[in-house]
Amino acid sequence: MMATKTFRCPARHGYAVEVSPFVPQRLACAASQYYGITGSGSLFVLDQTETGMVLVRSWEWGDGLFDVAWSEANEHVLVAGGGDGSLQLWDSANQHAPLRVAKEHRQEVYSVDWSQTRGENLIVSGSWDRSVKVWDQDLSRSLTTLQGHEGVVYSTVWSPHIPGCIASASGDGTLRVWDVKAAACRLAVPAHKAEILSCDWCKYDQNLVATGSVDCSVCVWDLRNVRQPVSQLLGHTYAIRRVKFSPFSQTVLASCSYDFTVRFWDFGGSRPLLDTVEHHSEFVCGLDFNLHIPHQVVDCSWDETVKIYSPACLTAAARSAAS
Amino acid sequence: MERLKVISGHLLPRGPSEPLRVLRSCGSGSSVPGTGEEVVVVHGRRTAIGKAKRGSFKDTTPDELLSAVMSAVLADVGLPAARLGDVCVGNVLQPGAGALMARVAHFLSGFPETVPVYTVNRQCSSGLQALLNIAGAIRSGSIELGLACGVESMSLRSIGNPGDLSSRLVENDKARDCLVPMGITSENVAERFGVSREKQDAFALSSQLKAAQAQNSGRFDQEIVPVTVSVTDESGRERRLQVRKDEGIRAGTTLDGLSGLRPAFKPDGSTTAGNSSQVSDGAAAVLLGRRSAVEVLGLPVLAVLRGSAVVGVPPDLMGIGPAVAIPAALRQAGLSLDDIDVFEINEAFASQALYCVEKLGLPLEKVNPNGGAIALGHPLGCTGARQVVTLLNELRRRGRRAYGVVSMCIGTGMGAAAVFEFPGPQREEGGRVAGRT
Repeated sequence: MMATKTFRCPARHGYAVEVSPFVPQRLACAASQYYGITGSGSLFVLDQTETGMVLVRSWEWGDGLFDVAWSEANEHVLVAGGGDGSLQLWDSANQHAPLRVAKEHRQEVYSVDWSQTRGENLIVSGSWDRSVKVWDQDLSRSLTTLQGHEGVVYSTVWSPHIPGCIASASGDGTLRVWDVKAAACRLAVPAHKAEILSCDWCKYDQNLVATGSVDCSVCVWDLRNVRQPVSQLLGHTYAIRRVKFSPFSQTVLASCSYDFTVRFWDFGGSRPLLDTVEHHSEFVCGLDFNLHIPHQVVDCSWDETVKIYSPACLTAAARSAAS
Repeated sequence: MERLKVISGHLLPRGPSEPLRVLRSCGSGSSVPGTGEEVVVVHGRRTAIGKAKRGSFKDTTPDELLSAVMSAVLADVGLPAARLGDVCVGNVLQPGAGALMARVAHFLSGFPETVPVYTVNRQCSSGLQALLNIAGAIRSGSIELGLACGVESMSLRSIGNPGDLSSRLVENDKARDCLVPMGITSENVAERFGVSREKQDAFALSSQLKAAQAQNSGRFDQEIVPVTVSVTDESGRERRLQVRKDEGIRAGTTLDGLSGLRPAFKPDGSTTAGNSSQVSDGAAAVLLGRRSAVEVLGLPVLAVLRGSAVVGVPPDLMGIGPAVAIPAALRQAGLSLDDIDVFEINEAFASQALYCVEKLGLPLEKVNPNGGAIALGHPLGCTGARQVVTLLNELRRRGRRAYGVVSMCIGTGMGAAAVFEFPGPQREEGGRVAGRT
């Protein structure tokens, strides 16, 4: 296993990381002062080098920052969501202020995502005001507001396959699937008997969505039959903060948790838990796979670190599959 | 503080707002999950509970009962006794709380002489006190792993001799109240707080029925260590038998039958043999450790000790102890009553158990789901450890992360309580116990 690279951000507690879709070694991290309970936020753009990570750019924001997404159209542009209910569009070519700030949400914005399907260039945001909003790429205004969740919205993700389709996860215990064109909820799955903090789409099967919940379980759902999950992954000992499907394997996913661990799963196998990575000393909130470098993973934690590593379980699985 | 509340909700899903926890996690508190400093329960077993003086254990010495559970717990998890930092045994009736008896049991179990053992007597909470003592030694850094036990033979020893007491006790109300017989303290609670005979009998019936159902569906089978003993019957013939079932449970109990029983302690009283705990023989043992040590050895984590408390109450109303001790232990754990899934409250008497349940407003279905001492029996020094074993098996059966409380009243006016968290189904690496049948 390649050595873990660590970036320290003193007095900033990591909430989200995302690897650039354009530049393999580049990633962004949204972090907050005082564990995001109060104080300001920071957005870091980092490059990994041979030996570690270097800071390319950083911006400060007056309130905590909880999520970040790279533009799928312009390699310099990112969007972040903040505790003041704002979305900010940042340009790494511009040193100082955001290109644009859109403040429509009445409470914390906890998730942002940039659409990936052909012909679309939209942003989605999820907020503690229980709404999901869809925006054009300039954040000039929200195009649609999706209402229906009866609790805080924690996670909003565009389907990588179906245009205008969003999955959202909420404190109301439901996973919802939305049709943006019709501005309607197409499916509400009572996926957990506890808050759901994260969801993600499978990159290889347009019907599969994973959810991570306060009940410590990750569930994989086939949206065609949601009476029971395709798989329930148990092992975390505290709430699951984020789940991400692998960009390289249909049945591999990763989850990070308040139990300080990141776990890797293959729900296609008889022993789904591949590995438990315990390299943080606080809640692990941010997690992403590198699209360009197979098996490379990035995560960030309230312990003021961002880490890049290639878990042995993924590289070993790839080796055994190849042989 | 909306954000603090929301994030606290992620950590304590059933307690809507408990900011304490999250603040503790932000710092470097010793009970933070993952630091390895927590006191965890690895495993526990008990003997069947025998009827004193008439049952299968009537001729069995307590060291034999104790040895059966001590060795079974270690054998189940494959831990050599030499790894134990200390052994503490709760006992009430043996001379000096059975310090000698415990060391004999220790050697009968094949434990090496290098491992120490001692006993503790806090009356009916002795078995739980043994667990708290071992937990304290782990927390203080003195030991890494310890065995907490409880044992009583009420066949061979009776509650009797109060020891040597100052004659001045008659001048001091509280001191004098310490001599009030337990049955009278039950009558005091019933009278003072208006717990009717009917309610006591109904509670006793439900204890019997729940225990009978638990026994019939095999729910105790996994926790009970079969013990082979010799019993001398009335004709003087000795016979060997293996004891694996609790003897106090009466599936045929009816409300009619209970209401026909005469008051046992005073003519116009409401406490009867049917709505009081039974006099019994039994033993239980629980293996505890520091999480880091437990994980290094690849032992399973059955539960985490989250809090505990022992409190004092008026001696003549000693039965109200749990009503004071449970909130104190929950405060320490940073939990509320609503967070708790199962309460194991010792049924010394239906009067006091009911009083505590009603005082705390506990839903009856959360209390003693497998019956209590009215049906199973109350081998004094064993009871606390027995309750922990029964509680944790129940939480494990339910199969999801949950909290449970063990509590009891204590003669001379005290109450004790401990809060445990069942972390959810075992992770694969610690599955050694699962293989046991």
